[in-house]
Amino acid sequence: MKQIAIYGKGGIGKSTISANVAAALGERGLNTWYIGCDPKADGSMTLLGGRKIETFLERLRSSPGENRPAYVEGFNGVKCIETGGPIAGVGCAGRGIIVAVQELYKRYFADNIDVIIYDVPGDVVCGGFAAPLREKFANEVYIVTSGEYLSLYAANNIVRGLENLRVNLGGLICNSREIRNEERIVSEFARKIGSHMISFIPRDPIVRECENRGKTVIEGAPESSQASAYRRLADAILKNSDLRIPKPIDPEEIRALLRENE
Amino acid sequence: MTDVLHPRPSPIIAAMYTLRDLDVDVIVMHGPPGCGFTASRLLEEAGVTVVTTGMQENDLIFGAEQRLVEVLKKVDEEFSPKLVGVVGTCASMIIGENLDAAIKKAGIRSTVLPIDIHACAGPNTVGAIKVLEVAASKGIIPNEEFERQKEMLMRATALERERGMTSKPYLKPHRGATKLKVAKRIIEYLSQNKRIAVVLNAKKETAYRFADVMRAIEYARRRIGGYVVYVANTDPNIGLPRIRRYSMDILRDLREAGVTVDYLSGGLDEYPVAGERAAKYLEDKGIDLRVLCGLPHAIPDLRVEDILVTDQPRELRNFIDSGFTFAVGEISTHSMLMGARGIVNSELGDTIRELVDEVQT
Repeated sequence: MKQIAIYGKGGIGKSTISANVAAALGERGLNTWYIGCDPKADGSMTLLGGRKIETFLERLRSSPGENRPAYVEGFNGVKCIETGGPIAGVGCAGRGIIVAVQELYKRYFADNIDVIIYDVPGDVVCGGFAAPLREKFANEVYIVTSGEYLSLYAANNIVRGLENLRVNLGGLICNSREIRNEERIVSEFARKIGSHMISFIPRDPIVRECENRGKTVIEGAPESSQASAYRRLADAILKNSDLRIPKPIDPEEIRALLRENE
Repeated sequence: MTDVLHPRPSPIIAAMYTLRDLDVDVIVMHGPPGCGFTASRLLEEAGVTVVTTGMQENDLIFGAEQRLVEVLKKVDEEFSPKLVGVVGTCASMIIGENLDAAIKKAGIRSTVLPIDIHACAGPNTVGAIKVLEVAASKGIIPNEEFERQKEMLMRATALERERGMTSKPYLKPHRGATKLKVAKRIIEYLSQNKRIAVVLNAKKETAYRFADVMRAIEYARRRIGGYVVYVANTDPNIGLPRIRRYSMDILRDLREAGVTVDYLSGGLDEYPVAGERAAKYLEDKGIDLRVLCGLPHAIPDLRVEDILVTDQPRELRNFIDSGFTFAVGEISTHSMLMGARGIVNSELGDTIRELVDEVQT
């Protein structure tokens, strides 16, 4: 079983990539689970035709003993779970993720699962947001970044978390913002932290159009070149054996890298 | 489920006691210095070293993994323990401290059991189950033993909910009937040559004190006469080695006091089921008076004329309010038993002996 976690700066496109990779894996007939760890519970919507589902924690709260399946089946048979969490300004979202991930692992995850994808909010912050990185939950991490300074800076910060927690990085996914020399920048940054760029996802308005229709690109525009890009990424993740604990670099090095490629 | 307002023991404390039952040398509490303080002191009296990582406000914000690593190293240096338990607390578990990772980083020689538990986790038995689960996963106890004990602990939780201290929203502490009233009744039955059954259905170390009621009644019987049947959940072949030792100690002391146990109803960790076995055993024995010691509510079909001996003031309130006027308390039993290796005198036992001696002289 591959258990992967997707991290990256807020707004960089983690959920779009996670959902499209899940859809591509489902298309190959793999038993794929998408676990959205954002309290907003909106990551799986494109797999579910734009629908919002009852969250795992909400169910745990209203009917703790219940054992009906925890997931809602989405496009291509992808099993979707949103952990959910407190509303803004109340309770502790980090704790929510810990409880949800532990319960899912204990009660629902079985050996016949091929891939579990954890779509984790933002950077690694507290112990709760890092929960999917614990060794028994995720065994490889992918960081989504672009060639912009702030997303590379956030990526570097996540790398610091991975190094600290001794978790393997599977690679960087460049979600293009159409920066000049972007592919080179991200590849070079990946090399500096002791990893590699596993995929370059071009920017394409089709993503937004599909999202507006509540669909992944794999579903909404299956013949598009963008869909092919997500399929290639899914394949690369499946085949990836280049897993390493990364090393963060000095943010000044990031700036220097960007200046060289201006 | 009833929302219980009165204070209840927490899974953290149950985890500490279960670690003690596993004969750990050191318990490291990963939390603020006050967590588990009262239980820690008691456990230290029972020979377990308890230390705290002493988390502070900044550790809550920034994480306290390094503190735990350092405390583990210090523990290793200072005590050279064989077996160590690291117990989480509300503070450490809510912020998601990774006990496993810290233990690996410390890299000490002893076997370390990480117990990821906190007080919001549920009934206290959850903490005990967690410890046994970790112990089984590390090969400290066989898996079948884990399953057996888990079953007992779940039954204990159900028993408390049905008839025990979590069956009512609030129980005001009560000290129970006077020892004099109860002792007189026992002596009265003996002097009328009636048949008494004494059932010890106690939880682990509390049996050291409740078993004294058997010694005292036997003392009285020898002087006054009467007929007594003894039933005890002190099977020396059931439970963790430490718990078996308790049973052996108690059986030895009972033997010395001339008490012959007629029926062993189970082990000292089997009180949720041993009570049923005891009641069954007594069914056809023509018993006039039952003296039920320890956790009497685990014995089915209690009768208002039964004598119920227990230690918790809230348990007593529960009994007294339900019409059991002969419910009597051995208050503070737990605290006086730490480190005990033999039967400890009970107040009811002493009262019986004193009354008998008065009658005799």
